[in-house]
Amino acid sequence: MLLSIFLMCVKKIIIVLLAFHACTSANSQTPCTGVFTGHIQDESKQPIVGATIILLRQKQGQATDLSGNFRLENICSGKYKVRVQYVGYQDLEFEIQISGSVNRLIELTEEVRELSPVVITEHHDAAHIEYANNFTQLNEKQLAEIVGKSLGEMLKEVPGVNSIQTGPGIFKPVIHGVHSQRILILNNGIRQEGQQWGAEHAPEIDPFVASNIIVIKDASAIKYGTDALGGVIVVNPPELPQTAALGGTFNTILQSNGRSGTVSGMLEGGIKNHDGWGWRLQGTGKRTGDFNTPNYSLTNTAIKELNFSASTGYHKERAGFDIFFSHFATEIGILKGTSIGNLQDLITAMERPVPQYTSDFSYTIGEPRQEVSHNLLKLNGHLLTSQGEWKLQYGFQNNNRKEFDIRIGELSKIPAIDLKLNTHTLDVEWETLHSDKRTISVGMSGMIQNNANVFGTQRIPFIPNFTNLSGGVFGVTKLYLNAWTIDLGTRYDYRYYDVTGFDFKNTLFKSSFAFHNISASAGATLQLKSNQTLNLNLSSAWRPPNVAELYSLGTHQSAAAIEYGLLLNDITNEVMDIKDVNFKTEQALKLVTTYQKVWPRFSIEVSPYANLIFNYIYLRPEGITQNVRGVYPYFRYTQTDALFVGADITATWQVAKYLKVLPRVSLLRASDVTNHDFLIFIPSNRFEVALRYERPALSTLRNFYVETKTRYIAKQGRAPRVLTVREIITDKEQNIDPFKDDSSNFDFMAAPDGYWLWNLAIGTSVKRDRVQYDFRLASENTLNQQYREYTNRFRYYSDDVGRNVVLSFKCIF
Amino acid sequence: MKNTPFKTIKLVSMVLVIAALAFLASCKEDDPKKEDTPELITKAMLTFTPPGGGAAVVVTATDPDGEGVRELTVDGPINLVKSTSYTLTISLINGLVAVTEPEYNVTDEVEEEGDEHMFFFSWTNNVFAEPSGNGNIDNRPDAVLYTGGANSVDVNGRPLGITTSWVSASASASGQFRVMLKHQPDLKSDTSTSNTGETDLDITFSVVIL
Repeated sequence: MLLSIFLMCVKKIIIVLLAFHACTSANSQTPCTGVFTGHIQDESKQPIVGATIILLRQKQGQATDLSGNFRLENICSGKYKVRVQYVGYQDLEFEIQISGSVNRLIELTEEVRELSPVVITEHHDAAHIEYANNFTQLNEKQLAEIVGKSLGEMLKEVPGVNSIQTGPGIFKPVIHGVHSQRILILNNGIRQEGQQWGAEHAPEIDPFVASNIIVIKDASAIKYGTDALGGVIVVNPPELPQTAALGGTFNTILQSNGRSGTVSGMLEGGIKNHDGWGWRLQGTGKRTGDFNTPNYSLTNTAIKELNFSASTGYHKERAGFDIFFSHFATEIGILKGTSIGNLQDLITAMERPVPQYTSDFSYTIGEPRQEVSHNLLKLNGHLLTSQGEWKLQYGFQNNNRKEFDIRIGELSKIPAIDLKLNTHTLDVEWETLHSDKRTISVGMSGMIQNNANVFGTQRIPFIPNFTNLSGGVFGVTKLYLNAWTIDLGTRYDYRYYDVTGFDFKNTLFKSSFAFHNISASAGATLQLKSNQTLNLNLSSAWRPPNVAELYSLGTHQSAAAIEYGLLLNDITNEVMDIKDVNFKTEQALKLVTTYQKVWPRFSIEVSPYANLIFNYIYLRPEGITQNVRGVYPYFRYTQTDALFVGADITATWQVAKYLKVLPRVSLLRASDVTNHDFLIFIPSNRFEVALRYERPALSTLRNFYVETKTRYIAKQGRAPRVLTVREIITDKEQNIDPFKDDSSNFDFMAAPDGYWLWNLAIGTSVKRDRVQYDFRLASENTLNQQYREYTNRFRYYSDDVGRNVVLSFKCIF
Repeated sequence: MKNTPFKTIKLVSMVLVIAALAFLASCKEDDPKKEDTPELITKAMLTFTPPGGGAAVVVTATDPDGEGVRELTVDGPINLVKSTSYTLTISLINGLVAVTEPEYNVTDEVEEEGDEHMFFFSWTNNVFAEPSGNGNIDNRPDAVLYTGGANSVDVNGRPLGITTSWVSASASASGQFRVMLKHQPDLKSDTSTSNTGETDLDITFSVVIL
């Protein structure tokens, strides 16, 4: 994405060696040490990430960073013509005199708008500075092309990000092979806290709230706390308006697979005669019926969702505050055919051509199903002083999760799991004013969290109740040294847990323990000559174990295997104290480098990475046990050292004026280093090529595009050995322990074959009477290919979804 | 002026600590209530009673720790006298609760929801004179005598099998006896098999005809 912009700009630059002449002849007394810095934002004051700013006379340009800031160095004094460009916005050209240090605030306007872009000369940069290095952004235009999906599914469009699926309705983002409690999701600046330990617990965030989503792929996002071993996903809503003009959007998306309809609307404005005030109301409703594979319906995969959010705030340059409230509620059906009692049932399910319980299409959601709601209240304020800026943020989250199973009689109406999670967070930060040399930010954060099982499930709770108190302090700095920009950061966190639960005998137990650790990050960005940029980041991050990893007992995630937590005695099943177990906290060391090069018609970005996770917690098969239901393999949470190595490569080739080719490759190689074994459910290598014809203006149409995209998802060759269910049952009958001599990971079924998917899309905008109308028609899996995806936990039971035709309509006023 | 940021940090950190303590104190909750567990089966008991009179033969399969690591212990063998009629009654027990608790006997729930449950049986060919064959786990239409009690069939007249009838072989024999309970919500029919629905029980005993 960044590259396509670089490319578009570079191809318009007239490369002149006069720059050198101008430097040496024009003013020999003033060496070329001029610095041009600034900030680029859109009309709603939202920073534009990845916009390009070029000094036309020199071969010098840059893309704005995560905060919308740019910095051009080593400029010879003189007058320059500057061009600023960004996809979807009007190009801006202006003249500037550079000598010494110059700073500008630039405001771009969208292409369909009638207003012009603006350059403001006097600017005290109160803009927030981001300290992360390796990231990808999905901006508003890109989000509009993948709208209608859940957050986890949308994030698959980011290179290096995949997902773990539980059927067609539940997607959890996977960054560079890690997920759940190894990545952090920031929902409007607040850590999303909502039972994220579960592989089938999707993030409870409405993507329509966001105007951009940033995925930080290194662990340098030190400011945000523990858990960011893989990276951070930042979901950002747009800035509140500061003037009274009323505006809004309305979105409708229809999808054929699942006969789905989504409606989302947003209204925002200010208060007349009270500049600085702004408010916004937003809501989304979604109704999907059973999805279908190319050959049959996936019975009981329907989804219902209803979300809304409201915010208001007051902002002046010196100070401001915001209040934000959001409510997210969904009901998701779980493929009925995945309901099994024991291992024998699993064989039957795996051998069935069509899952059990398959019936005609319906919108009804029956058991098994999930009901989740998430409420977020956020209050924040900022104050600019002559020395720096103060920021204070308070968040309250209330997450309710009910999971219903097929149970005896009336019990089906009662949840089998009913959890209530309340979290309070408080963050304080102080940041120095943006300077030419260095910026420093320090802060503290605290969190109080309480998890409670709601009484009445008539089941022994799967995870215990707990109270968690956390605190942390951090310091980060950004240094500018000639062509280098250096980021350094460090953080200390302390976490205390107070646990109350019921063991396998349904007897109460209590425990308490604490964890503490330091995280650190060091990164550098280097602007090289010939339009090359190099980003490097080495960071360490850690996370405390989650309660499921410590205490789980039972068949929660699949009825085909029993899990035992780290703290359960392997003979008596009694709960042990953490001091009696040789437990060490998970600690990751991640190195990410990103290299970008831009030629006139071609640009490429290569991002190799290596993530070494010490004391990686995972489930290892330990034996086969028998209870009244039958035979089960059982797994115990254990620790090992794991290594994730990979690379993401994206390129843009501008073949003709309006035509470009966009190839993309994502490679990942994960291993259990200690046991020389493979890890399970690791995303396989993927390859993609898109051909895109795009015209900013075509008679009355704006932003017209046609795109064809082919994806190949390779078979996961690095999958654990296969131990079939039949082999397990036979071993049990003959009293053989298949794990005695070989405790390596296993899978019940071989990884599915690689597969191709072909997607098509066409879209455009039209403007009438100050209202913009966007249309989009797309098809996914156009050839209705039958396939199974290795990271879909339902691959044992059914195929993946067939063709989906999407019709999307949006109006912006 | 320079000290202000640090003073403010001190103040804020004090506020945070006080807030945390306040929460800690206010969140002194009562201990959570223990849940009832009406679906947990830790013991299956098979009682073979001769309808004409005589000693009953009882065998149990016990799971000592529910979903814990410890293995199911199956006692037995089922010692039956040859050429004798028996009525088999199956009880499913939740051993985690006291005998007096209603959920102690899970069989009641199964009986109440009889139209969604079915017991399937299989045995080694030579151990029973009646029914003939080797049971209906491998083939639904094979003979099993769903008679002997009101809970032999469900409200729709379909086989349920909490009570069943058997006649032991006329000659000494030994073999295996397997009992399976399937939960078949919306799926139970005249032709639903032992592969339909979900398995709630699957235990095998040895059987000896004396």
